[in-house]
Amino acid sequence: MEIPYNVEVREDTGVYNSKLGIWLFLASEVMLFGGLFSAFILLRTGAPVWPPIGVNGSILPLLEHTIPHATFNTIVLIASSVTMVMAWVALKTKDLGKFKIYLGSTILCAIIFLVVKYFEYTHKIHEGFVPAHDTFMAIYFTITGLHGLHIIGGIIVLAYFFGPGIKMWDTEPERFTNRIEIVGLYWHFVDLVWIFLFPSLYLLN
Amino acid sequence: MSDSHHQESFWRKYIFSTDHKIIGIQYGITALLFMFLGFTLMMVMRWQLAFPDQAVPVIGGLIKWLAELNGFASDGNLPADLYNVFGAMHGTIMIFLGVVPLVVGAFGNYIVPLQIGAPDMAFPKLNMSSYWVYFIGGVIMFASFFLPGGAANSGWTSYPPLADIATTGQTYWLVGMVFLITSSLLGSVNIIVTIVQLRAEGLTWMRLPFFVWSQLVTSFLLLLAFPPLEAAGIFQLMDRVFGTSFFLPSGLVVGGEALNVSGGGSPLLWQHLFWFLAHPEVYVLILPGMGVVGEILANNTRKPLYGYKSLVYSAIFLGFMSFVVWAHHMFLTGMGQGMSVFFQTTTMIISVPSVIILSCFMLSLWGGSIRFNSPMLFALGWIPMFGIGGLTGLPLGLSTPDIHLHDTYYVIGHFHYVVAPGTIFAIFAGIYYWFPKMTGKKLDETLGKLHFYSSFIFMNGIFMPMFIQGMAGVSRRLADGGQAYAHAQDVLVYNEVMSWSAWLLAVAQIPFIINIFRTMMAEREASPDPNPWQATTIEWTDTTSPPLGHGNFEKAPVVHRGPYEYSVPEAKSDYSPQTQS
Amino acid sequence: MSAKDVAHHVITYRNVFILLLICTGLTVGAAYVDFNVPKSMAGALFVGLTIAIFKGYLVAGNFMHLKTEKKIIHYILFLTVFFLFVLLAVPVLWHIDLVK
Repeated sequence: MEIPYNVEVREDTGVYNSKLGIWLFLASEVMLFGGLFSAFILLRTGAPVWPPIGVNGSILPLLEHTIPHATFNTIVLIASSVTMVMAWVALKTKDLGKFKIYLGSTILCAIIFLVVKYFEYTHKIHEGFVPAHDTFMAIYFTITGLHGLHIIGGIIVLAYFFGPGIKMWDTEPERFTNRIEIVGLYWHFVDLVWIFLFPSLYLLN
Repeated sequence: MSDSHHQESFWRKYIFSTDHKIIGIQYGITALLFMFLGFTLMMVMRWQLAFPDQAVPVIGGLIKWLAELNGFASDGNLPADLYNVFGAMHGTIMIFLGVVPLVVGAFGNYIVPLQIGAPDMAFPKLNMSSYWVYFIGGVIMFASFFLPGGAANSGWTSYPPLADIATTGQTYWLVGMVFLITSSLLGSVNIIVTIVQLRAEGLTWMRLPFFVWSQLVTSFLLLLAFPPLEAAGIFQLMDRVFGTSFFLPSGLVVGGEALNVSGGGSPLLWQHLFWFLAHPEVYVLILPGMGVVGEILANNTRKPLYGYKSLVYSAIFLGFMSFVVWAHHMFLTGMGQGMSVFFQTTTMIISVPSVIILSCFMLSLWGGSIRFNSPMLFALGWIPMFGIGGLTGLPLGLSTPDIHLHDTYYVIGHFHYVVAPGTIFAIFAGIYYWFPKMTGKKLDETLGKLHFYSSFIFMNGIFMPMFIQGMAGVSRRLADGGQAYAHAQDVLVYNEVMSWSAWLLAVAQIPFIINIFRTMMAEREASPDPNPWQATTIEWTDTTSPPLGHGNFEKAPVVHRGPYEYSVPEAKSDYSPQTQS
Repeated sequence: MSAKDVAHHVITYRNVFILLLICTGLTVGAAYVDFNVPKSMAGALFVGLTIAIFKGYLVAGNFMHLKTEKKIIHYILFLTVFFLFVLLAVPVLWHIDLVK
C-alpha cells in the first residue's frame, strides 16, 4: 500500500494531506504569535508609560522617524504576497516562465524586506536602544526578530522551489502546484503577522 | 508493496527509517531509557530525604564526582544544590523526555496507522525528523548535567525571577525545550493529518477505536498549547542571553544588590504562558493512557466498551476545557476574586468528563467474563489509581483549601497518582498488550503478574504517605525532607517508608526487564498468531505480527462495523472483527 | 482551471492589492491624526486594530482562499481563534483583577 491523498483530494474531507498539514502548522503558529502578543499586551497594560523611558530616554522620536521605512516594508511584503499568489496562478495555467518571474519577485521582495530591517536594527542598536534597554525594545526585537526568522525560512523554501525543486514540474506537475500552494499559504501567513505587527509596534504608541 | 521490498542498508532501515513502526520503536526505547534515568535521579533524592547528608550507597562516588564537577562540595552525599538540579531534571525528563514521547511518539506512531488501516503516517520524512529533533533535545538536556553549576535547578516549572538568574544549565534547558516543543509540533501535525486523511474505507468517526480518539485529542492539545510555552521559552532566553526584563520586575534585589536590568517585566507572565501549556499537558499525559486502558478493557472483558459515544465526547470536552483552567495553578499569586471564582468553576467542570470516563470504564467491567492477563491487570490497576489521583485534585482546584495544600507534598502525591501509577501503568499495559504485535512473541505471564503486583504495592507505598505529609504541611521543596521543620516532625517517619518503596519499585522492574529480553531472544514461531488476544480492531485482524515493513497491509482494509463488537449475539465467535462484513 | 476563472482570479487579486495599499495608507494616516480627546490613545488603537483586522481578513480570505476553503479547515481555525482569544484576553483580565 502507498500513502493515499498526497496529490488527489480525499472525498469526505475535501483536502489533500499537505493542505491539512500546513493549516494545522499555521494554527500552531497563530498560537505562537498569540503568546507573543499576549505578552505584549500584558507588558503594555502594566507599564506606567509606553514605551517605557530607559537610560537612553524614550524610543518614541526614533520610532516616529522609522515609520516611513516600516510603511515601505509593509508595502513590499504585501506586494510579495500578491506575486506569490500570482506564481500559483501561473502554474495553474501551466505557464512556467511567468511562474519563475513571479516567484523570483517574491524572493526579491523578501530580501528587500530583510535589508530594510537590517538598517532599522543597526540604527536602533547604534543609538543605544538594545533589547535590554526597556520592555518595549525587548518585545520589539523579539517579535520582529522571530518574524524575520520566518521570512528567512520562507526565503530558503522559496529558493528551493525556484532552484532544484522546480524539477518536479516535469514529472509531477500537479504535486508541484500543490507544493507552491502550500508554501504560498505559509508566506501569506507571514505577511498577515506583519500586518498586525506594523500598527502595534510602530504606530500606536 | 511487495515490489518495494528491496534491500535497504542498516542505516536506512533502523536508524534513519521513515517507517512509522521503526520510528515508534525508536521513540519507545529512547523514552524508556530516559525514564530510567529520571527514576534514578529520584532514587538518589529519596536517599537524601530519608537519610539527609549521609553518603549515598553504591553510587556515592559517582555523586561526589558529579557534584564536584558542578562545583558543589560533597562527601558522596547529595548536596542541596544538586538536589535542586535533580528535582528540576526529574520532572523535565519524566514529562517531556519520558512519558510524552512514549504515549504519543511510541504508541501513537506505532498503533495509530495500524488501527486506522493506513500504510504509514501521512508524512513519513516529517515523522523521522520529529524523532531526531526529540533526540537532539534530549541530548542537550542530558549534556547540561556536566556544566558548572549543574543542569537547570529552578524546578521543572522554571519560574522566574529565579530561573532568569540561575546558572547556565537553565539556558540549556530552554534550548532543549525549544527542540522538544518543535518535535511535538511536527508529531502532532502528522498524527492529526494521518487520522483525518488516512482512515480506511468505512472507518467513520464513530467507528474509530477509543485509542485513536484519545490520540487525536492529545495531538490537538500539543498543537495549540505548546506554542505559547515556546514563546515563553524565547522570552526567558532573551532575558538570560540579551539581558531583557520580560520576567523581571523593577527594583529586584539579588543577594543584597540591585539587579542591573531595566525592569518593568512581570514574573507572572511566565506563569500564564507556562501553565497555558502545562495544564493541557496533564491531559496529554493521561488521555492516551485512557485510550490504551479502554482498548484493553474491551478486549479482556469480551464485551463492548460501556458508553463509547460518551467516552468520545468526554475526551473531546476534556481537551477543550483543559485550555481554560490553567490559573488554578496560580491561586496563591495574589489573584483577584473574580478570576479565582472563574478558574475554580472551570476546574470543577473539567472533573465531570474525567468522572464520566472512569465510570464508563468501571461499568464496562459489569457482567464481563474478565480475563486476568498481565495487560488487563495493569489496566484494572489503572482505574483506582487514576481515581485517587483525580479525586485528590478536587481540593487543590478550589481556591480555599489550596491555600493550605499549595506547594506541599499533597500536590506531589496528587499528580504522581495521575501520572505514575496512572499513565505509567497504562504504558505497561500497552506494552504487554501490543508486544505480540510488534515482535510476534507474547511476554511471559508469570513474570508479568509478578511485575504488576509488586509495582502496584510499591507505587502506593511511595505516593500514599505523601498525602499525609502534605496535609501536615510539609513543603515539597525541602532538601532535608523536613528534618529542620517544626510541623514535619510527626510525619518524618514516612520518609523512610516512601524511600524504601521507591527502591523496591526499582527492584520490581527487574522481572519486566528480564521478561522483555528473554522474550526478545526466544525463537519466533514460523507463523505467529497475528491475533493472540482475539481482538476486533484492524491492527490485529488484518496484519501479520510484526506487520509488513512497508505499507503494513497486503491490501487496503475495508471496515464494516464498530471497534468493540465482542460477544455479538448469534455471531460465530465471541469477537467480530471490524473488517468482517 | 479555465482561462475565464484565471482572469477572474487575477482581477480579484489586483483589487485586493489596491485595497490593502489604501488600508496601509489609512492606518499610517490615522496614527498621525490627533484625536483631540482625552482618551485619544484608545481611539487610535481602535481604528488601527480595526484596519489591521480588515487587512488580515483580505489576505486570509483571498490570498489564502479561506473564503472558498473546506469546512474542516474552518473548524480547525475556529478552534484556534477561540483559544487565541482565551490566550489574549484572560491574562489581561486577570492582570486587571489582581489584588493590589
